Amino acid sequence: MASVALMRMVFDDDSSAAWNEMFSAPGRPRPIYERLFAELGRYQPSELRQRSEQLARTFTDRGVTFAHSGEERPFPLDVVPRLVGALEWDLLSRGIAQRVRALEAFLADVYGEGRVFDEGLIPRSVVTSSPHFCRAGVGTDPPNGVRIAVSGIDLVRDEEGRFRVLEDNVRIPSGVSYVIENRRAMTQTFASLFSDHRVHPVDAYPAHLFSALRSAAPPGVAEPVVVVLSPGVHNAAYFEHVLLARMMGVELVEGRDLLCRSNHVYMRTTNGERGVHVIYRRVDDDWLDPLQFRPDSVIGVAGLVNSARAGNVVIANGLGNGVADDKLVYTYVPSFIRFYLGEEPLIDNVETYRLSDPEVCADVLARLDAFVLKPVDGSGGKGIVIGSQADEETLAAVRDAIVTSPRNWVAQRPVALSTHPTLVGDQVRPRHIDLRPFAVNDGHDVWVLPGGLTRVALGEGELVVNSSRGGGSKDTWVLNDLAVPLRESPVGAGSLGRVAVASPRQNDAYAGRDSDQ
Amino acid sequence: MTSPHLSLTVRHHTGFTYDGLAKASYNEARMTPVSSAHQEVRHSHIAVLPLVPLSTHVDYFGTCVTAFDIQEPHTQLEVEARSTVESRAALVGDPLAWSELRDAVLVDFFSEYLHATSRTDLVGDALAPCAQWAHVADLHECVEAIGEYVRAHVRYEPGATTVSATAQEAWDRGEGVCQDITHVTLGLLRATGIPARYVSGYLYPSEEAEVGVAVAGQSHAWVEYFAGGWTGMDPTNGVRETERHIIVASGRDYDDVAPLKGVYQGPAASSLGVVVEMSRTH
Repeated sequence: MASVALMRMVFDDDSSAAWNEMFSAPGRPRPIYERLFAELGRYQPSELRQRSEQLARTFTDRGVTFAHSGEERPFPLDVVPRLVGALEWDLLSRGIAQRVRALEAFLADVYGEGRVFDEGLIPRSVVTSSPHFCRAGVGTDPPNGVRIAVSGIDLVRDEEGRFRVLEDNVRIPSGVSYVIENRRAMTQTFASLFSDHRVHPVDAYPAHLFSALRSAAPPGVAEPVVVVLSPGVHNAAYFEHVLLARMMGVELVEGRDLLCRSNHVYMRTTNGERGVHVIYRRVDDDWLDPLQFRPDSVIGVAGLVNSARAGNVVIANGLGNGVADDKLVYTYVPSFIRFYLGEEPLIDNVETYRLSDPEVCADVLARLDAFVLKPVDGSGGKGIVIGSQADEETLAAVRDAIVTSPRNWVAQRPVALSTHPTLVGDQVRPRHIDLRPFAVNDGHDVWVLPGGLTRVALGEGELVVNSSRGGGSKDTWVLNDLAVPLRESPVGAGSLGRVAVASPRQNDAYAGRDSDQ
Repeated sequence: MTSPHLSLTVRHHTGFTYDGLAKASYNEARMTPVSSAHQEVRHSHIAVLPLVPLSTHVDYFGTCVTAFDIQEPHTQLEVEARSTVESRAALVGDPLAWSELRDAVLVDFFSEYLHATSRTDLVGDALAPCAQWAHVADLHECVEAIGEYVRAHVRYEPGATTVSATAQEAWDRGEGVCQDITHVTLGLLRATGIPARYVSGYLYPSEEAEVGVAVAGQSHAWVEYFAGGWTGMDPTNGVRETERHIIVASGRDYDDVAPLKGVYQGPAASSLGVVVEMSRTH
């Protein structure tokens, strides 16, 4: 018998255009959610609240916090997990791996031959005008060809229930520590739920990452030394840097701990200097090497780029990856998949319009309220304007900005992000969610961590799913259970199809994402 | 021999002296001339004091870069480049028509050389004649007119500006060095729709000097514009690129070709000054 809290949620949500992750109709859970629904139904709202507080305590105890308005807070973990069926996950993980392979090929091409330009797939100027096009990095080709050791391809589920790629993050995607910590906290707090489900574990991530980083080492180095390079304790993702270094059993270093000498990189230790061969850097390009980029950077390592060029150290992720996750370049990614891989995209983009085309631009400017306007280079949801919800002043400002530099904006169809039952106060309420799966490329395979980070917008109708906007997350369970029927799942043919453009709704949700943190 | 021809040796000496001990110094020198259709580098060598290992690579713009780091405390950094170069004046071909220059494929290909950078950007009055230049049928004549316009408005005045000056600053002052005059010219060429790049190198002052006698040369800057092939023009001197111009590097602006750039830990540095000596070998 479902609790009052769950039933309440069911009826509140049936008017939304958004896809409901748990229910196919009021009171009718989708097959993969049947057991979870039954199990959660045994809890009274006050009990769920209690468990929720227990989860928060676990996080505070372990230091899983983020800085919000100068205060360290636990990243809210919701008590209701998000489930993904085995078949659907199979498609998603193949779609993500496909995307990563295409982006790898694109980056190698852009910093190499430039076939993609010669073939006219994308104007050269789109790439060379990106602030992330890294001329100083030309000639630092990684020995095993991997520039995207770690990626976070952000997905949303649209109104029809189809997953779409919202954006690519191939610079310094963060959040995987929450995936690991969410699972740890959930297994402690809700052991019984796990006994009813066969959930793919997530704790293999550090081993996969470590293996990929070792594979990236310069040739001829038998026992490569890998380090994690962090900007330091003030970085919002510092906890993640610590966690990954510890779980991989490698040193966590900051710029001042490293030294380049004659194009070799050394780590200063209490036992003297020690050679370093692979740097998993969590420092942006701009701050990475004061000789090449910002000379005022005190968190970088002078000489690092030339050391990489000389082949003595490998920087992961690669230099200049930002040209591949530029939001204008995003619009070309489906064509890259066809061009480089000879495959059809397994996961479609969200319909996105290039404002560099004067006709398209004029059309968009004429009805700004029908679009989401995104700066191509924005991160953390910064600068995103949801036309239907913006006031006149905001629309005028974005109009001016677009007219001034159409290259710097794209227009996207507003997608009503899917909703998922989420504990809000003492009630379970539908809240919009997205999904950031993490993929690790070791040069042979692109391995996708089962699940990923489901982010949830905690405010009602809240549009931006982001920790800096007070968002939370959900433990994401990929079920290792093919026996569960998927009769109502949109997996399969639908994923290859196209969806008609739906008219935007007043309260449609739109996710703005963090591209690098 | 179809065009004037020179064989030159160049000695380019530069560096810094510090108000105390400098250390952890990381540097890149772009002081090695590049071989091209009308310039052949016979020999080139870079020496650095204090003595440290050097590494070389070719950068995005095709420039030969010498990189080195100095860990030991030092009070002075000296870099000296010596080169022997055979140079001949480039033949100037028939220019493209404007319609060809505006072809979408070409515009995209050269977009980096058609967009202003923070160093070349000009606004306001300076750009007034751009529209009328675009009506000068012959591209070479058009560029010549632009060069004259720059010389009429920005006087060559050694020491007038610092190395970090922008085109707009030089325009507003009405004076500058060859670097500034080049930046202003680039700003105007690009605003007119002509792909143009910054060239750094040396200028041999006279063809009259005796063989084997070193004369004071200049570290110099000029432009190349695309008229079907890259074509050199020296706006500071109001001449085409000649056999006396030796090309070291090209890029979007000065920042892509700076002869010696670096970072270090330690007290303030002052430049040792730049010495360029050139002599004819025959």
